[in-house]
This record gives sequence, C-alpha cells and structure tokens, in this order.
Amino acid sequence: MASLAITFGSGAMTNSIADIADSDIIFVIGSNADTGHPTIGLRLHQAVARGAKLIVVDPRGTDFAREADLWLRIKPGTDVALLNGLCHIIIEEGLWDKEYVKERTENFEELEIICKKYDPIYVSEITGIAEDQLRKAARLYASSGKKSAIYYGMGLAHHASGTDNVKSIANLAMLCGKLGVAGGGVNPLRGQNNVQGACDMGALFNTLPGYSGLANDEIFAKYEKLWDVKLPRRPGKAATEVWDDIIDGNIRALYIMGEDPVLADPNAGHAVKAIEKLNFMVVQDIFLTDTAKMADVVLPAACYAEKDGTFTSTERRVQRVRKAVEPPGEARPDWRIICDLAQKMGYMMRYNSPEEVFNEVASLLPQYGGISYPRIEKLGLQWPCPDKDHPGTPVLHIGKFTRGRGLFVPEEFTGPKEPPDKEYPMLLTTGREFSQYNFGSMTRKTPGIEAICPEAFAEINPEDGKRLGIKDKVWIRLTSRRGSIKIRVKITERSQEGTVFVPYHFAEAPINMLTLNSLDRLSRSPEYKVCAVKIEI
Amino acid sequence: MVSLTINGLEVTAQEGLTILEVAQRSDIYIPTICRINGKNSAEPCEMCLVEIAGMDTPVRSCVALAKDGMSVVTDSPELRTLRQEKLARISSNHFGDCKAPCNLTCPGQINVQGYIAHIARGEYEEALRLIYERNPFPYSVGRVCPRFCETRCRRILVDEPISINHLKRFVADWTMSNGIDLNIKREKHTGKRVAVIGGGPAGLTSAYYLARHGHDVTVLEAMPKLGGMLQYGIPEYKIPRNVLEFETNMILRMGISVRLSQKWGQDFSLQDLRDQGFDAILLAIGVGVDKKLEIRGQVLPNVIPAARFLKSLACHEKADYGRRAAVIGGNNIAMEAARSLIRSGVDEVTIVYHRGHEGMPANQRIIREAKSEGVQFLLMASPVQISEKDDGSLKVDLIRMRLGAPNERGTRIPEPIPGSSNIIEVDTVISSLGQMAVEDSFSGGELEEQLDISPKNTIKASLRNSLTNIAGIFAAGDAVNGPRTVIQAVVSARRAAENIHSYIMDTPKEPAENRFNFTRGKAFDDVALSNFDGINIKLREKMPERPPETAIQDFDEVKLGLTEKQARKEAERCLSCGCTAIDRCKLKPLDIEYKVNINKTGMGKFPVYARDYSHPNIIVDLNKCIYCQRCLNICEYDAIEITCAEKGENGIPTGLSLTFKDNCVSCGKCVDNCATGALNKKESTVPIISEKIRQVRSTCPYCGAGCQLIFKVKGDTIIEVTADPDQAPNYGALCVKGRFGFNFIQHKERLTKPLVRRNNQLVETTWDEALEAVAKNFFDLKAMYGPDSIAGFSCARATNEENFLLQKFMRTAIGTNNIDHCARL
Repeated sequence: MASLAITFGSGAMTNSIADIADSDIIFVIGSNADTGHPTIGLRLHQAVARGAKLIVVDPRGTDFAREADLWLRIKPGTDVALLNGLCHIIIEEGLWDKEYVKERTENFEELEIICKKYDPIYVSEITGIAEDQLRKAARLYASSGKKSAIYYGMGLAHHASGTDNVKSIANLAMLCGKLGVAGGGVNPLRGQNNVQGACDMGALFNTLPGYSGLANDEIFAKYEKLWDVKLPRRPGKAATEVWDDIIDGNIRALYIMGEDPVLADPNAGHAVKAIEKLNFMVVQDIFLTDTAKMADVVLPAACYAEKDGTFTSTERRVQRVRKAVEPPGEARPDWRIICDLAQKMGYMMRYNSPEEVFNEVASLLPQYGGISYPRIEKLGLQWPCPDKDHPGTPVLHIGKFTRGRGLFVPEEFTGPKEPPDKEYPMLLTTGREFSQYNFGSMTRKTPGIEAICPEAFAEINPEDGKRLGIKDKVWIRLTSRRGSIKIRVKITERSQEGTVFVPYHFAEAPINMLTLNSLDRLSRSPEYKVCAVKIEI
Repeated sequence: MVSLTINGLEVTAQEGLTILEVAQRSDIYIPTICRINGKNSAEPCEMCLVEIAGMDTPVRSCVALAKDGMSVVTDSPELRTLRQEKLARISSNHFGDCKAPCNLTCPGQINVQGYIAHIARGEYEEALRLIYERNPFPYSVGRVCPRFCETRCRRILVDEPISINHLKRFVADWTMSNGIDLNIKREKHTGKRVAVIGGGPAGLTSAYYLARHGHDVTVLEAMPKLGGMLQYGIPEYKIPRNVLEFETNMILRMGISVRLSQKWGQDFSLQDLRDQGFDAILLAIGVGVDKKLEIRGQVLPNVIPAARFLKSLACHEKADYGRRAAVIGGNNIAMEAARSLIRSGVDEVTIVYHRGHEGMPANQRIIREAKSEGVQFLLMASPVQISEKDDGSLKVDLIRMRLGAPNERGTRIPEPIPGSSNIIEVDTVISSLGQMAVEDSFSGGELEEQLDISPKNTIKASLRNSLTNIAGIFAAGDAVNGPRTVIQAVVSARRAAENIHSYIMDTPKEPAENRFNFTRGKAFDDVALSNFDGINIKLREKMPERPPETAIQDFDEVKLGLTEKQARKEAERCLSCGCTAIDRCKLKPLDIEYKVNINKTGMGKFPVYARDYSHPNIIVDLNKCIYCQRCLNICEYDAIEITCAEKGENGIPTGLSLTFKDNCVSCGKCVDNCATGALNKKESTVPIISEKIRQVRSTCPYCGAGCQLIFKVKGDTIIEVTADPDQAPNYGALCVKGRFGFNFIQHKERLTKPLVRRNNQLVETTWDEALEAVAKNFFDLKAMYGPDSIAGFSCARATNEENFLLQKFMRTAIGTNNIDHCARL
C-alpha cells in the first residue's frame, strides 16, 4: 500500500472486482486467488473462460498457472528483476504508451536508465524464465488498445523487497497506460476482510487516519481540536519492529486487539522471547490464543456476528457488518471495550453506537466524507466518496492520478535476504489453502472444513523428492536458521524444483518459527515468502 | 422494444427476452422450479407453461420469446390442470418426510426434531428457546407429558423411541441450574389490556404469548399461588414446587401483572373487568369442580373428592387418612391420589374401577408406577354405597361388573353382574370420577349468567376463534375441553392468545399451516425397514430415578432427570426424519398451490438410493431429487455431474447419480439452491419449520473480497449462512469459509469472562477489575517510562470503527504513535 501511495497517491486497489468482466488481459503475480480470494478467483476463471488472456507469474503450479496463456514460473524473490525486464522489452520494442507517459506521469527517464541493464538474457538468468516467454508476456500485457489488469497479492508484498515489487508493478502499468480505465489497473488483493479499513482508519504507526502522515500541521490542528488533546508527533513503531524494541527495553507494555503474534509473526520464537520480557500485556480476543495465554489481562471480545460496524473491502467498498446474535457470556464488542478503557484512563470517549464513531470518521476523512450508514444500508460505497451525493468511485485515477502525475519509482533488483546455500539448500515459501484461514482459530472449528484440509503439509517437487529420497506422505523435519518443525510431505508438480511450500494455518506446524523477520525498509512487511531451509528425514 | 399483454396487462420489454423473463421483470408471477441463474434445465419442469392467443397448445415461457402484439395468459383452468398433473408426476417419485412424525404428533406442534438437534450440538439454551415458541411450561410438561410424540417415533422400528420428553426436561432443568436468561424479546408495546381469569397452565400460557405480543396482561387467580392444577393438583413428587415457582416466574418475566386470591364471581365480575378497561377477557379457570360420586354415603366426612384431597396435600394441611384407603376411579388423578395416600402413611391403598386394566383412562405408564409403589387394584367392580361404621371406618359395598355385548360402535359397556357383591373396609375413600368447569351455571353477575355451558359442564367456546357467546370474552384450556393433559391446555391457550391478539389488534390471524406433508409412511406398517439400513441398535438412556421403596417415604421427586452426558447421547440417537430444507423447498409450496393430493396420486414409498455422506460439507439424498438440475445450472465451477440412467413410466427419471467432481471447492451454492432436500448441509441439522427466523445481512469476515452474506438466525443461534444472488459484489457466490465456516462464532471455547493473572494463573474476574488493572498498569508505565513505552496492535479483522477507536485511544489516552496492525502479516 505504501508503494502505491508514493507512485499514484492512493494506496488501494485501483479498480473493482466487477471490472474483471471488462479485462482483455489479466496479469496475475504473487497471488493465488483460488485459495486467498476464492470468489475473486472465480470471476478471474470466468474471465478466462470468456476469452480474456491470462499471464501468471508464480513459482507454484497453481490452477491459474496451468490455465494461463503464459505461465512464468519464476524463482521466488526475483520479481523486481522480472518487472524491470518487462519494462525493458516494452521500451526496447516501442510498445509503451508514449502519449500517456508524457501527459500523465513523471520521472520516466529514470525508469529508462534503471531498466536498461535488465535485458532478457540477464533477467532470464535471475528469474529462470525463458527469454521468449519474457518477450511474449511483455507484448501481451502492453497490447495497445486492450484493457490489461494486474492482480497481485501477498506473494508479492511479503518480501523484504515487497515495496520495490509493488513500485515495479506500478511502473509497468503506467508505462503501458493501463491505469484509470475500467478493466485495467493495479489491483492488490487484500488478505484479510478489513486490512483496507484498518489502514484507512489510521491504525498505522506513521500516519493519522486517511494517510495524512505525521507532518501535516493543518490536519493535526483539526484532530487536536476535535479530540481536545495534544497529539504525539514522534513516529511510532511498526508491529514487526516492536519485538526488537521490547528486547531493547524501549517498549514495556502491549495492548493487543485480535492478533496472535505468537503464531503469526515471522521468526515467532523472537516474539515469544520479547513477550516474556514485557512488564504488562493485555489481549482482547474472542479465543484464548497462544498470545492471550501469555497475557496479564485477557478481555473477551464479541466477534463480527455480534456487533455492528463496517468493513472496507479490497475494492475500497465500505460495507455494513451487522449484529446477528448476542456475544457469549460477558463478552463485549471491541469498540465498547476501548471506550470503557479510555474512560478508566481519564480520556472520555462517549459513543452510543458504532454509527456515531463512523460519523466521526466521515467528518475527518475526506475519502469517507459522503458515506453514512443509511447510504450503505443495502449496497456498500467505494471510496473516495467526498460528499453525500457522490456515487462512490469504482475506478481510481481516471484522467488524473490522485497525486497529480503518476510517479515512476524504479528500483534495482536486490535478491532475497537469505538465499539458499550449502547448509540450507532449499527455498521455503508460505501461503494459504482455500478452505482454511490464517491460523485456523476460525475455520478449524467447522468439521466440514477440517475434512477438506486437516493438517499441514510441505509441497515438494518430485525431482527433489527423488534426489532426497523422500516419498509422498512421509514425515520430514524442516529447519531454518531460526526454527524447526515436523511436517508431512506432499510430492507434487505444483512446487518448483528447489522450493518447499507450506501453508501457515496450522498451530501444530507453526511455520513462522522458520520464516525470516527481515523487513521491507518502507512498509516494514516481513520476508515471509522466501527463506532458506533444509530437509531432514 | 416489443409490446405485449400478459393477463390483459400491457407490458413493454426489450426484444430477445423470453416471456418468463418479461413477466418476472414486470412482477407477474409464473411458477417455475428448474429455471435458475438465467439458465433453463435440460429436464424442464414445465411449471412455466403459458397460453398464447392463436396457439393450440401451451408453451414454456422460459423458451418462448416475447413478441410484439402477443397476448399471454399465465393462469387458466387448463394450465392449472397441466401443472397439477406434472407436479403429481414429480411428487410421485419424491421420497422423504417433510415434517418428522414426532413434530406432527405433538399437540403443541413443537419443532421436536429441531430442539433435539440443538441438544445434540450442545445448544441447550437454544433448544429451550425453540420450545418456548410454543410451550412456556417445559419444566412441568417435561415431567408429566404423556408423550404423544414418542409413540410415533420412527426409532421404534430400530429399537426404542427417543426419550423426547426427558430431553425437554433436561434442557429446561439445565438452564435453570445454570441460571441462564433466555433473553426472549417482547414485541413493541401495544397499549392493549387483557384480563386472564385463572393462573394455571392455560391462563399463564395465554398471558405469556399475549405479553410477548406486547399487550398488558393481568392474571386473576383465585388461590394464593399460581400454577392451577400444577400447584394444587399434581403432587410434589412429580413436580417439585421450587421448579414450578421457577417456571411461573420465567413466564411472569415477560411482564405480566398478577392478582392473587381473587375469586371470580365473588371478588370481581366480568362486568367489573370490562369497567376497568380491559380490551379482552380470557376464561381459563380449568376444571375445579369434582364430579359427584352420586351414591349413598357420598357426603360422609372421610369420603373426599380427589381434587380437594390433592389440594389439601398441596397446602400441607395436616390430616390422618388411616391405615386403609380406597380410591374410586381410573383416571390419572386417581393414580396420583393413590400414590399420595401411600406417601401419607396409608398402608393399603386400593383403586376401584369398573373396567379392566386396559379400560382405565389413566396413562399406562402412571398405572405401572402406581403398581410398583404398592397400589392395589380392584377392577371390574363398582361402588354401590358407602356407610360409616361405629369406629368411624368406612364400609364400601361393591358390585362386580362384566363387559356387556358390543354396542353399535363396537365398544363393550361394563354392566353389573346381578347378585354379585363385595365389601371392602377402609378408613378413607377418595372419589376421582372426573372434573368439570362448573356445576350448572356461573354466578356473580349478568354476564356470568349469560355464559353458554356445554352438556359436559364446560364453557362453550368457538374452536375457530376461542370466543364464548359473549363478545370480547374468550375461553381456553380444560375449562372448555374438560380435563386433559397440560400440553393440550397449553395448545388451546396459545391458540386463544393468537385469537385474542388478532381480535384486539383487528388484524387477520396468520393462516393455519397447511397440513400437506410428504411422508416415508404414515403408519409404522407403511415404513420400509430398508430406511434404517446401517443404523445400529442403541437403546435409550435410562432415566435415573429413586427406587419405589424409598420414593414412597416422602414427597420428593421420583425421577431425577438425565445427566448432560445422557442427554447428548440420547439426542444423538435421533434419526432426524424431517427435512432440513423445508424453508427453501420449491416442490411443496407448488404442490399446495396446485392442490396436488399426494395421498391419492402417490409419493415415493421406499428408499431407492443410500444417502451419500462422502462430500465434506454436503449430504446427498437422491430419494428427494426431482432431477430439476438446478444444482448443475447454479454451479459456477462446473463441478457437478448429475445423470439419470433411464426414464421410467410417466417420464420419471430413474437410476439417478450425482457426483461432485474433483474441482468442487465446497462453496455450497448448489445446496442453497437445491429445489428440495436432496442436497443438505451437514452442519445445518435444525429444520426451520414454521417458526420465525431472522435474516441478517452482513459482510464475510474472511478475505478482503467483501462478500455479502445473509445469516439465518433462529433465536440467538446462526442456523446457516447464505447469500443474495442479486447483491454486489459477490452475487450469491461465497467460498467454503464464507458459507460453512461459522461454527467458531458460537464455539464453546469462546472467551466469556475477563481474565486476570494471579499467582501466574489466568483467573476469571469482573470487567471493572480487569479494566482497572489495565488502566493502572498503563498509567504507571507511562509515568515511569513515557507514553512510547506502550504499543498497541490493532486488527485487520476488526471493524473500521474499532480500528479508528484503538488508534485514537493510543494517540489520545496513551499519547503515542505506537499503533499498528497485521496488514503486513
């Protein structure tokens, strides 16, 4: 999100899910929508069935990869090289949209310079993708007069170079003039129901709500007046940085709402060590998670079916969440708990309903300014929706980017932080299974879902299997420099030679004990998707 | 554009649309089963036939294009006949139960299968809430019901019926001992006032449902305590009084006023109530008058009518009934009187009745219980006279009886054997010859005297609207029907409440439910035993009870109630006969609309296909499949294969096969769109029958796609999740998580209380203490190390409002920008 905010001025999916029906060419990179976003995956499949051309960049042989007109089986962690290489070919062959670049973007010259060295031979060496495939992909995506859409997911962002990846995508799309039209765009698929909303609401260490940053005096004055308090200007710590700060003694207390870092954080052992060092931790959750078990105070929260509110979906659509049943026992909705706690702390938060909170949001955030509960009673509205008559915005950047001109921000390929070596010769990459979600605390309580995918597995290519003498379904030990787990093997062509894929839903195979906590320098996202591991039988 | 008329209405539409599409867009009803998702079935249901002027035969409106100048008729006697014939053909091959036999047999029409399914899932509270929809006396009925339902339980054909009534009692008692508030909502206040005379099962039932409707209800009770027969008739060893008190209090919590010790006709009259402004009056006085023995000696002091005897016991009045006693009568009250006499220190208790064992009206189960407690029976004997001896004991002269020749209805009336006689000597005689509402007429006022009385000395009231012959005065329960079971009083009273509601609100009553019902066999003999292939014998759980030797020592409860473990096991024995797709069924409503008489035209008689449980989330029962192919046409993944080997007579498909292909992603759209119960969700085991459900629209909690879903909520439990096909962005599509992954919401592992660490253990605490602890720690750390020593993690699964508030909290109450969430994780 951080990257798109720099390049376009707005960090969100530029287009709408419904747009998929309009796309001529669909370029999917770092996303397996079938598992991460099944209903969006469905629309993508339907678009292909209708005749849209599909380019898939994925190290794994997913269903989309097999269905694609072009499947670029990339070596994990080499996306920047690929994307720069595509730009190189497009510039070299003169396929770019010169008029668009001239009128609507800036800094093209730098892109030209940086991409110069990423010729197909060089890129093919880094990515493992054949030169002719690179050329075909570049020509197809750039097709003049066609609507080309890019979809990407956490497969692209979960890298230490995640923001570079995203900037490179933006470069490619701007270069070909594929932004600001229905059926085109750069479309990040959000992994969780309300990531977009959590970001919009300013649950971020480096900005007030609405991405206004921490530097804008005018906005600070507005908030300080409404909230009647002096607000801190010192930048905060990102969730992924907090652990080091705890170890260093800078942070001494944590207030955790609905998160389970003991399972979720990369190099989870590090998080556990940090939590043990804390003076105080309060966890607010619906279950007694592994993290909650370590807390000093645990507050029982209502779940989504037990409270009112809104979520903002990946397509920027603000939609209602409604209370269907009562919370169990004494559990309370999070919004109420926060208000009660604020009161105890001597800061008054007086809201009678989530709607009152939302109205405050709308009064502060221009993107949400025209949205209200009555307006989204039936159908949600897509922000920006600046006033009460505004119909919402299905496609961003039509005619003009949010920031004015689109900014090319080319980056050099840096390679994974922890490439395989002699001791740890395999690459580990992680992801989702279609029936499970996150760490399973929600999905694993439904027997019919457990029946589909009851246990963790490590996908290994048949060639690797042969070489290592591993058969299907045997148990192996998977070890990285940070941790080690036992897991059952699934021998499959889906996995590229030299890589192991493991889904992260299973507490009994906590794969994040192995993953790497190197962070992206801009967004502070961790390098979940690539680290070096070894396999022992 | 084309312009045509449908049923005489001028309609214009785009060119290229079918007549059915045009009609649907103009809100003109044409029935269809198979049409879905803009697709027609290869096996058309032919419901959408219409007549077009100028054409000889009706055409399918799903294929015929609307043309300019067309004149279309969608309903005519001929079309109705064609549709009826086709429906009859489809129905003749449809095999299954709509409602389960237990549900159909229950006088209260309680969703028995539903509450048993809730119990099997551990949802006791919801089970009880479901019972309360139709019966506010589950504690008492769960103890005294004669259990009509269990006599029809199909499990009898395997081993033994489900112990339905014990299960009902279990959930009632469980919520009582766990102090659970059912939190049943009262509707909006109406400002209407109703007076209910009588605080027994009937009166309180009516009061409960009237109050639930939002009316102001006042109950006037003649006695000092509520409960009627439950309080003053049924002994404590059957219904402990603390349980009854809890039960009546639960009812009163709906918001009901009570006036105790107010005798109708003495302390107030109907006219008084009218003058006090009540909009309606209900007479629910029960049958408090004992029928007389009418033999010589009936007035002797130790000859006591049964109801009076039980009442004095209930009031703990001291009395000596001697060593021997006779009870005259064979009804339930006679049995309870006999058992109570034994508990009152009487050594020998004999029941005298003029027929044999089978001829006694009492429930056979109660007769057995009385016997096991030592009650003796002198049958085929009738008292002639009672006389008092010098020592105060009684001599009862009896005549022996025999069964006479069958009369015109085939019953054999007992007649005295001339010359036979028998004498028993006892200290007390209890007469239990039945009861009535009134001796000859009511008194106390003009209105009272006008009330029509039936020949059986009960109040005359209309079956249709519960009204007596006087406007605004209703009657219900035993007072109308004569002595019956508690559940029957409840049913009568609930109907009266609905009638009173529609009378005072001047709204039409909800139409009675149609009795149309597919069945796997009405009588046990009609039910094919192959239905139960693969079901292992598992006998019912035994009710723990005190042995008779100790039970007769006191008035404490005899039956102790199933344990939770037993209840779960017992509930799991249920064969779940009834269909869980009743609320979405397309066939049954059309059969009803087109008056198909499946009893004549036929329905499936035995199972042809075994149920297929192999899909992780879906059960396939092809016995209910009507081969409409909606599943095939709604599946967005082309993951269903459905075939029929051949067409039998009348074009009925036989040899059906339905397979989920390997690419099935378990999204469940096929189940939600199945026309019948051929496809079922494994986890949706509670049939939604006639009760109200709530549909709540919301947003899926999983990925960021923002799919819109609909919760179907019963009481306070989510029964299933579906989606609206017309709603963006997902247009009815959901993934396996969205449609099936909601068990976690009401999972027993949910946190229900704040916890705080003490001695390195997390222990339960109050909200106030927990929040106090958090605030204090934050305060202290902030004071010592500054606000940046505290960090907050918000949540990408929480709402916008909550994310907004948490960052606001961190930035204002704490004063730090250390706020972030898991977007990156």
